Amino acid sequence: MSDDAPIIWVVDDDPAVRDSVGFLVASLGYAYETCTSAREFLERLDDARPCCVVLDVRLPGLSGLELQGELLRRGSTVGIVFVSGHGDIPKAVRAVRLGAFDFLEKPFDDQILLDRVGEALEASREAIAERRRRGLLERRLAALTEREREVLARVVAGKTSKAIALELDISAKTVENHRANLMAKAGVNSVAQLIAWASDPTDI
Amino acid sequence: MFGIVVALFAVAAHAADAPRLLRIGVLAYRGSEDAERTFETTVAQLARALPHYRVEMIAGSAAFLTTQIARDEIDFVVTNPGHYLELAIDYSATAIATVQDMDGTSASEAVGATILAPTNLGEIQSIADLKGRRIAAVAPEAFGFRAAWLEFLDRGVDPFKDARPLFVGFPVDGVVDAVRAGRADAGIVRSCLLEKLIAEGKVKPEEFRVVGRRPSGTLNCQVSTRLYPGWPFVKVAQTSPAMARQVADALLAMQPSSGDIVWSAPESYHRVQDLYRALKVGPYAPFTRLGILDFLWEYRWWGIAASMAALWWLVHVTRVAHLLRRRTAELQAAHEKARLEAERMEHTVRLSLMGEMASSLAHEINQPLAAILSYARGCERRLDAGIDPDGVREGVRRIALQAERAGSMVKRMRDFVRKTPSRQLPIDPAVIVADALALFEPTAAARGVTVEADLTGPLPIVRADRLQIEEVLLNLLQNALEAAAGRPDPEIVLSARVVDHAVLIAVTDNGPGVPPEARDSLFDAFFTTKPEGLGLGLSLSRTIAEAHGGRLDPDFDTPGATTFRFRLPLIEEEDHV
Repeated sequence: MSDDAPIIWVVDDDPAVRDSVGFLVASLGYAYETCTSAREFLERLDDARPCCVVLDVRLPGLSGLELQGELLRRGSTVGIVFVSGHGDIPKAVRAVRLGAFDFLEKPFDDQILLDRVGEALEASREAIAERRRRGLLERRLAALTEREREVLARVVAGKTSKAIALELDISAKTVENHRANLMAKAGVNSVAQLIAWASDPTDI
Repeated sequence: MFGIVVALFAVAAHAADAPRLLRIGVLAYRGSEDAERTFETTVAQLARALPHYRVEMIAGSAAFLTTQIARDEIDFVVTNPGHYLELAIDYSATAIATVQDMDGTSASEAVGATILAPTNLGEIQSIADLKGRRIAAVAPEAFGFRAAWLEFLDRGVDPFKDARPLFVGFPVDGVVDAVRAGRADAGIVRSCLLEKLIAEGKVKPEEFRVVGRRPSGTLNCQVSTRLYPGWPFVKVAQTSPAMARQVADALLAMQPSSGDIVWSAPESYHRVQDLYRALKVGPYAPFTRLGILDFLWEYRWWGIAASMAALWWLVHVTRVAHLLRRRTAELQAAHEKARLEAERMEHTVRLSLMGEMASSLAHEINQPLAAILSYARGCERRLDAGIDPDGVREGVRRIALQAERAGSMVKRMRDFVRKTPSRQLPIDPAVIVADALALFEPTAAARGVTVEADLTGPLPIVRADRLQIEEVLLNLLQNALEAAAGRPDPEIVLSARVVDHAVLIAVTDNGPGVPPEARDSLFDAFFTTKPEGLGLGLSLSRTIAEAHGGRLDPDFDTPGATTFRFRLPLIEEEDHV
């Protein structure tokens, strides 16, 4: 599926650096896109696809580190590999602490870059999957009534119908009705399947 | 030369009106005292006869008297006939009276010379016997000697070649002393001196014999020569005719008393003239001697002065030439030293600029290197995987491009810091601007400062030292960067355009501006506002601008902008060849 094919962004103000990094990642069959500035990248980024960015620290306008801050604020899942012409340790430490995969000094070792790009893409894929799972769960839970969500939470916690009825100050019969409705909405036949439906959508 | 002045005031000299000076020079052939004694009566009588004059007597040698006449220090001279002859020719002297003895001697035959020999030298009888002898006389130009000289010549004796003359100088008594002491075998003295010395008791009558005695006529003395007129009283050219007439009248009117001399009308001195002509002396000296030597002697002071002046001039000219050479050499050395100093300073500033930009420039070279590495690895992976041969070819091509890019950057840097002698050549200013921007932009980028190049249209060729102009531009850009960096939206604008027969390059920044107290010192050497600045940049930049016939001026007038304008004059029409 083309939408799931990973894409590698290269953001650098030096056209030769941009082009050469693209040339390198293309040798592994990756698709890549280049941007001259952080602003352009923010406009064009589609992080629904697995992606990572090879980002120059020093950029005209918004700098690489500022871009990292902005992506975090937006909850973006794009993995960042910094490259820099200057070994600036404080910047590197800060960048990695905020989740960057690495901080490479130009000229960099191609293998390390490609390894980090691979790791970043993997993390991106996971983040996308996690996001999807959460989305699905949220959608499923959204279809339930308030009382059904309360019953479901206690079923997942392994409580008996009697205990739930006592806890919610309703009759056991009513609890059983809610369970039946939940099984029907989830389209499952067993309690075990209902628990899985409510916690891990990938397992279905 | 010696002279003694005796002023004799006449009795009537106490007249109310200031007496005029009447100066009489007297030849002192026996010393000044004798001369005064001989003529004191004459002078005293003159003073009495001419009360409106203050009469002075000046005694001295013939040469001294001649000098005094030349200086117009003497109105009248009493001298010997020979000296008179010379004065007559050189100073238009005229005898106004001739001396005459009281004893009846003829005034026309009053003076001659006597040749003395010691009585004990019996072998000297005649003038011919004086050959090979030492003969004492006063001087070669003394009248007595010359009178004797003619008698010698008559007897075939040349006193200079055949005898050995010994000139003892004045007074004439020295001649007698020389003969007496045996330093000479004979002596020539004025006529009547011998008789006078005997009368004075200074010489014993038997001590000397007169050689070559001749008849003495009315003269009551023994003489060895012809006789010549007595001493004349002479007026010279500058003597006023009125004074001369008054003196002549007074002299002739004098009443003789016993033992005194009296004055008669001037005698003819043609025999003296004959004597001098025969001897070829005085005015009749051969031209070579008279013409050159006498001329030189007469004008010796002028000659000496002229020689001194010429010598001084020569020394002066030599000294000036020497000084000029030395100064020129010193100036050239100083000039060369200043030039080297300026070059060294330029180089220092260039190195300093390069130092400030070094980190950015290193980054700028690092970029193509990083690109090259990535391309190379990309190619390697494609080759290993046996895929994308077109991609490999393209990768290799881009590697070459990036290597060229790095190489040109290194060359630009190396050119900028290279020590090269200053050379102004015709060049397109746009090329210099482009070079400066290429070196500067990485630094601006690193500091987050935008550089806008406002270059409208082609620029005309200027005559410039490429490196120096680049240095000026980089200085201005670097200063602008320091000012603008850290401000919101920092920006530098570099513009170049033609204005008033010059290329005007302006560098503007939107920094906080130069503080007013720093504006006056901005172009001073070693003035800096930067913690690590050399303080040479602007001072050197202005020097370079001026060396190109241009200017470098700041403009603080626009709020929020500081501009430095660098004017570079265009090449004049006649330079286009």
